[in-house]
Parts: sequence; structure tokens; C-alpha cells
Amino acid sequence: MIDLDLAVIGAGPAGLAAAVRARKEGIRDIVVFDRDDRPGGILNQCIHTGFGLLRFDEDLTGPEYAYRFVTEVNRLKVPVELGTAVVELAKDRILTAVNGKKASKYRCRAIILAMGCRERTRNAVMIPGTRPAGIFTAGKAQRLMNIDGYLPGKSIVILGSGDIGMIMARRLALEGCEVKAVVEKNLYAGGLIRNKVQCLDDFSIPLLLGHTVTAIHGEYRVEKVTICTMNEGGEPDERTAKDIECDTLLLSVGLIPENELTRMAGIGMDRSTGGAFVDNILETETEGVFSCGNVLHVSDIVDYVSLEGEIAASGAAGRIRGVLSEKRYGKRFVSGRNIRQIVPQSITQERETPLFIRVQEPTGPARITAGDIARKRVPVARPSEMIELTIEKKKCQKLLRPPGEGTIEVNCREE
Amino acid sequence: MKNISEDREKSGIFPFNSACDCDKEGIRDGELSKAVFDVVVIGAGIVGSMLLRELSRFECEIAVVEQFPQPGFGVTKSSLSYIHRNHFNPPGTLAAKLCAGARKAFRKLSDELRVDYKETGEFLLALEPSHIPQMMKRKQWGEQNGETGFRIMKGSEVLRREPEVNPAVLSAVYSSGHGMIYPPEWAFALVENACSNGAHAFFGTKVIGIAGNDDGLFTIHTGNGTIRSRFIVNAAGNKAAKIASMTGDDGIELTLSRGTFAIFDKIHSSLVRNILYVGGGDPAVSQVVGPTVSGNLILGLGSFKTPDSTEDTKVTRESLDEIIAMGRDIVPDLPVTDIITFFAGIKSVNNLEEGGDFHIGYSDLSRRVIHLLIGSPGVTASPGIARHVIDLLSDGGLSLVEKKLFDSSREKKEDDWDKGQKWPCGRIVCRCENVTEATIQNAIERGARTIDGVKHLTRAGMGRCQGGFCEGRIIRYLSEALGIEPTEITKKGEGSEQIKGME
Repeated sequence: MIDLDLAVIGAGPAGLAAAVRARKEGIRDIVVFDRDDRPGGILNQCIHTGFGLLRFDEDLTGPEYAYRFVTEVNRLKVPVELGTAVVELAKDRILTAVNGKKASKYRCRAIILAMGCRERTRNAVMIPGTRPAGIFTAGKAQRLMNIDGYLPGKSIVILGSGDIGMIMARRLALEGCEVKAVVEKNLYAGGLIRNKVQCLDDFSIPLLLGHTVTAIHGEYRVEKVTICTMNEGGEPDERTAKDIECDTLLLSVGLIPENELTRMAGIGMDRSTGGAFVDNILETETEGVFSCGNVLHVSDIVDYVSLEGEIAASGAAGRIRGVLSEKRYGKRFVSGRNIRQIVPQSITQERETPLFIRVQEPTGPARITAGDIARKRVPVARPSEMIELTIEKKKCQKLLRPPGEGTIEVNCREE
Repeated sequence: MKNISEDREKSGIFPFNSACDCDKEGIRDGELSKAVFDVVVIGAGIVGSMLLRELSRFECEIAVVEQFPQPGFGVTKSSLSYIHRNHFNPPGTLAAKLCAGARKAFRKLSDELRVDYKETGEFLLALEPSHIPQMMKRKQWGEQNGETGFRIMKGSEVLRREPEVNPAVLSAVYSSGHGMIYPPEWAFALVENACSNGAHAFFGTKVIGIAGNDDGLFTIHTGNGTIRSRFIVNAAGNKAAKIASMTGDDGIELTLSRGTFAIFDKIHSSLVRNILYVGGGDPAVSQVVGPTVSGNLILGLGSFKTPDSTEDTKVTRESLDEIIAMGRDIVPDLPVTDIITFFAGIKSVNNLEEGGDFHIGYSDLSRRVIHLLIGSPGVTASPGIARHVIDLLSDGGLSLVEKKLFDSSREKKEDDWDKGQKWPCGRIVCRCENVTEATIQNAIERGARTIDGVKHLTRAGMGRCQGGFCEGRIIRYLSEALGIEPTEITKKGEGSEQIKGME
């Protein structure tokens, strides 16, 4: 058993930002664990630009963005254990990490969960049909192209207009593949508008809104897919079925926070986000265990992920130094009108707090409010775009004095 | 990384002569006509594999030919994988006779071959009064077939033992000791053990014709050349009628039916601990929720549909909706959002026997050709079938002398897993199932040639992300070990190449 001040699980954007901040706050004894052979996580395969606009006011590629943090981690001499998988997390902050050489147990004073997310598969969205080669999740295809240097196929249908799906549509078009259609069951694109414009419209790739794939054909390799329009009940209308010939189906149908370790440790989970319940220092319901980035909730901008890593690291540093009050149940956010998810789910500490909110349904101009402590006007609100609403420190102070439980309702009202 | 083709020549550990290696082994066309086997088994499903292994006890030259790249790639991989107690077969049938003693045989084989076999209990549930007669009939069949220990339980007791079961449950027949296996892993281990005892196996080798010769030998034409043999056992599963017509037995027809399965995330491994059947009276419907040997939850099979062909294992929307609805009948809070995969399997019923019983018998034209027309429960019956076929071969004139040096045990390489350790020490490639690099390379060394082949042997890619993270690395390991381009690596054999090159 090795004693450790801080373990960071995952060396993607959240974990790297957390490690850097924790070291800068004076935590000496840190180890970052990652399963992959290099740090940076999914950023390494995101060779498109659009990273760092908020944080650095620059338009960086994924690897460039990751490089800035990797450089910092190296400069600050934070050890990163690569090729090392954390396979077990016990309730008492004891983790087991394995690699090619050994399996080791660590007893940690604080742990930051930064494992990221995985993709929903063809099976998770239950597309019927055969089981041939040529079915890829978009991120898997992205890795195949941008890291390994191979193509998933030549003639492609993409289901789901999430950001990765749209970015891959452009990437495949640039490599000379024929992207026959991006099929989206909703009546609006699933990802950022800038991606719809830059990745689909600029490449004349058809976006079929209100459609879905209802069958996959081909015994050994995908030969065609059947698509249908969605009816008002949200079910595919079989009468509109038509086939599109293709050799590949890409799926961009959602991301799932990779919380198997979190569950193993018995940490409370929020069904709406798929991540842990956290307070405004991103501490989970288990004292000393923090969660940040896509493992907490799926973000659409990496800059927010890094910010969360830093918040979690400050919290962890506070726990390690023993300057934080005992874990308590503070004021909890509840979803009001047209709100799908809110992170963090509660406020327990007196500090400035960015709230990350997703709406349920798209609206035009709207007012987002958190009780009477914060409000913001937005020109549009879409489920695909996270809204940040900052609660000032003094409002948090006011809220938490006198101490005690309570709830704050968050609403999105169209104006 | 070691190069397997070199490695094999040096150490001789590689057990299979897959089709592409035929020329190296000197068994191809011209020369092949000199290679004569005593028995050739057509089909390396669980039945053919079991037979090959049992035949390898005797002093005779035996081989199996299989169209797929690996054992257990056909209907075997899509079966319910329970070793049932003998209460699904009407007394007096061949199926009932051959299923007797199955669990004992599997337990012994599990020790010898070091393949997973676990046991659990089973409830035959009556969710409504009309289910009770059928449920009681199964109990009666079981007892007439020599099984003991069936207990009738009240609904309240069922719910105490399985709290997730539909509270409307009226009663159940409970019995313990039902086996669970993963059949493709078993088929592989059986063939491996047979090969280490001198058997030959040809994969990716489809039989296209069979001819009888004046010298008393059969010539089996395959996509990779011809093989000659004194005896032929047709264990081609759903394609047995096709093989039978090649030997001149035209009167055999198989009626195919397709059932659908769904597998749930391992986080629900403790949702139910026993196999839960609904004892409905309709033989064309099967309704079951239960655990698997690897700790998932499995749901099947729905009302059986007629497929377009033996290859038609597509899953339809209707079947999926149906099995989910049937599953909710048994377990109302079925975690449908955590289904990680689904698939279909095809079983067959022959036209020669009444009531769906097995038919195992000689060709009309020769006692040196035996056709196996097996339906459900083929996995459970496989040890019994192997014994029965060996008797028929002997009666048909095959002399059976036991080998002095038969080795019943299979060396299972311990790869990275230290004995008694909960976690492996190794580089984890498949993060969902914690499969290490060494385990995967070991599987490739043992003969896995495809992405699905690696999956069936190691579970890599079988977890919740379905290969999202590990498939690229598995393609690379296969490519390096086999000395071929990544673009040539297939999912499940020729025509299923998974990735393409950039130009």
C-alpha cells in the first residue's frame, strides 16, 4: 500500500488541468494515472481546430491544446503513470492501479476522477439488422483516421449530428470519402451550430433532420442502411423507409460518462448527467473524492473541462491541507422549467461558482435564472449548447448563512 | 512482438492447420489426395468439437473441416449457453437420452480443459394460471428422465429469493445445479485439446461436394482442396441437410427458426441470480431472463421467426420489442437502457423425427456416413451425442483402440493473471472487461484470426463499449502476428475486412 496525497485518474484535459493546479497550490505528492501511452486523452485525436477560444483566446487544435498542459505538467514534474489502468476504487479512497509491471494499491488523501466518457454504440441505441464489419462510433473512426492513419470505409452514412459526427463528416469528405448523409432524429442538429456550418454546409453534406436509421444490411460488410422519417410520437414511420447504399455506418449518438469506478466506490450519481452528484468545489458525496470534466457531465467545449479540473484541484488541495469544513449538505439546485441538467448540483462552499446548465428543449431568446441569486439572458437556448451561469461569491456567502438545507430552482423561461 | 508463423515452426505450439496454412503442412490438392483420414467431421460447432475431442482418445486419423475461421462461429456462438437439467425433453426421446448426465460430463471437462463452467438455480415460473400445467409437465418430464430435486414454490417464496421477479408470480418449479458456459470458448478448447492429441482441424474450409470412390474412400471437396476419408460425420448444424444432399441423402429437410437475445451491462450482474423461465405452453415461444457465466444478464428469445436462410441472423425491431416486453413480464424493472448488445441465433428441427426430436443415424447409402440432425438443446446434449456417434462409428466398422498417451488436460497459459490475485498484472487493452495485451496475444497464438475470434476467446470487445477503444489495438496485434496488413484483418472472415487504407 502506497500513501499518496492526490491521485488524478485520467490524463485528459480535465486531469491535466487538475494536476497542474494542484501542484501550483502546493500539493507535492501527486500521481496522474492514464490507460493510454501518452497524455492528452481524446484531444490527441481531435486534429481539428476550435479548442482554447475561451481560455487562450486562440484557435488551437486538440493536440496543441493538450500540449500546453502536458508542458506544464512536465515543467512542474508531476508524475504521470502511463499505460496504467485504475481497476478498482474502494469506498475508503484506496485505489488499485495495474500496468505491465505490477498491480499497486494506493491510499489517497484525495482523488480526482477525470476518466472522461465513452460513446454510445449501435447496440445501445438498438438499431436492428445484421452485424457486419463497417459499423463505427464516430470517435473510434476519428482515432482510426487521425492516429492510426486508416479509413473506416469509402461511402458513409452518419447517424447522429453530435459534434464528433459532424466533424467526422468533414474529415471523411476531406479524405475523399463520399458522405452520403448525416441522419438526425431530432429537428435540430445535435452539436454546435458552428460545426453544422463549417462541417456540413460548407461541404454540401446533406443533414436529414427528423430521420433515423432503422436497419443495417449486409452479412459480412455493410451494404446499405434503411432510413425513415420520425413521426410525431418520436417513432420511425416505416412507410417512409428508403435504403441508402453505403459501406460504412458511423454513429454519433451520444456520450456516456465513464463512471464504472465511481459506482464501484458507491458514490451517489445523478441520472440526468450520468455523473456523480457534486457540490461547488466538485466534491462528490464522498469526502475527498472529486469529479470533473466529461466523467462528471459531457461538455461541448474543452475550455470548460479544464476549468472544472482546476476547481476540483483547488477543492482537493483544500481537503489535503485540512482547511475545508467537514462535508455537509448545502443548498441543492433543482431543475425547474425546461432544464435538463445542472452541474454542480449543490453549493456547500463560499466561492464564486460557475453553473453549467443544459436545457430540455430548444427555445428562442430566454432568461436563465437560479433562484434569485443569478440570472442571465441568452439569445437562444439549445440542448446541444451548455449555458454557463456564474454565481458570485458574495451571493454564495449569503446563501450559506445561516447554514442549513435548502433548494434553489433553476429555470429557463422564453421571452 | 513475436511472429507467430516462425514461432509455430520452432515450438510446434500452434494447434490448428487453418486453410491458409495447408500448403505449408503439405495438405493441399495434389498432395492432399495422399492424405487419408479415418474420420472427417464436418462442422466445428460445439457438437463437432465435442466429437472430435472424444474421437481423439482413439488410435485413428481424424480431422474436422469448418467453413468459419474458428470453432463455434455458427449457431454455437448464438445459443443460450445453459447446460439444462433434463426437463425440457419428453421422456423416451433421443434428446432426453443424450442429455442425461450432461452436467456431470461438463463438470469433468471443465476441470480437464480449464474452461469456465458455473452452476445456478432455475425457476420455471407460472405468471398466470394457464402456465401451471406446462410448468408441472416440465417437472414431470424431469423426474421421468431421472432428475431429482424439483421443488414447487409459492409466489411469495419465489419473490423472497428473486425480489425483482414480477410480483404477480403465482408459483414456480425450482431446481438447482443448472450449468452455464460460453460455448465458443468451449468449442475452441475442445478442438485445441483434440489437436494436441493428434487431430487435424481445417478452418475457413467450406465443403462443396462429396464423392464416393471405388477404393472405399470418400473424397470431400472443399474450397481449399480435397480431403479423403473412410468415415464422414455430418455435424454441420443448420447446414446438415445441404451436406446430406452431397452424400446422396436427399430426403432431409430442416425447418429453421430464429430467436433473439439481448445482453445487459455487468453492472446488473446481481439483478437476478437464477435462470427465470416462463413455463408457457407454446413451444414456438421461449421467454427467459437469466445470468451468464461471465456475469452479464441475458434476455431471450421471443417467438421464433422463420429466417430467410441459415445465414439470416438479423435482428428485427419487432423481435427486439417483443423480447423486451417478454422480459418485463418476468422482471418488470428490466434495465433496458443498459442493453450492451443483441443478436439472433437459428435452430433447426428435422423432418425425420416426431416432435422435434434429434435424428442421428447412418446415411441411406452407407454406414460410414452419419448425419447429425440436432436442434435444441444441442449444447447440453453434446457430450451425449459424441458418445452416441462413437458407438455408431464403431458399429459401422471403425475400429477403436484407445491411445495409450491420450492427454485429457489442456494447458491454459496463465498469461498475466497471478494465481489467486484479483487483478491482472499487465497492460489492459479492453478496459470494459479488463483483458490484457498478453491474453490477446495468447489468443492469437492459439489460433484466433479475426476480431470476433479474439473477442470470443478473450472477451475483449464484448463489454459495454463494444470494442470502441480496443478494436484498433486488436487489429494491430492481429496484423503484426499474422504478418498481414491491418486492412486485411477481418471481423469474422473473408469479406468482413474492417478498415481501409488511406490513399
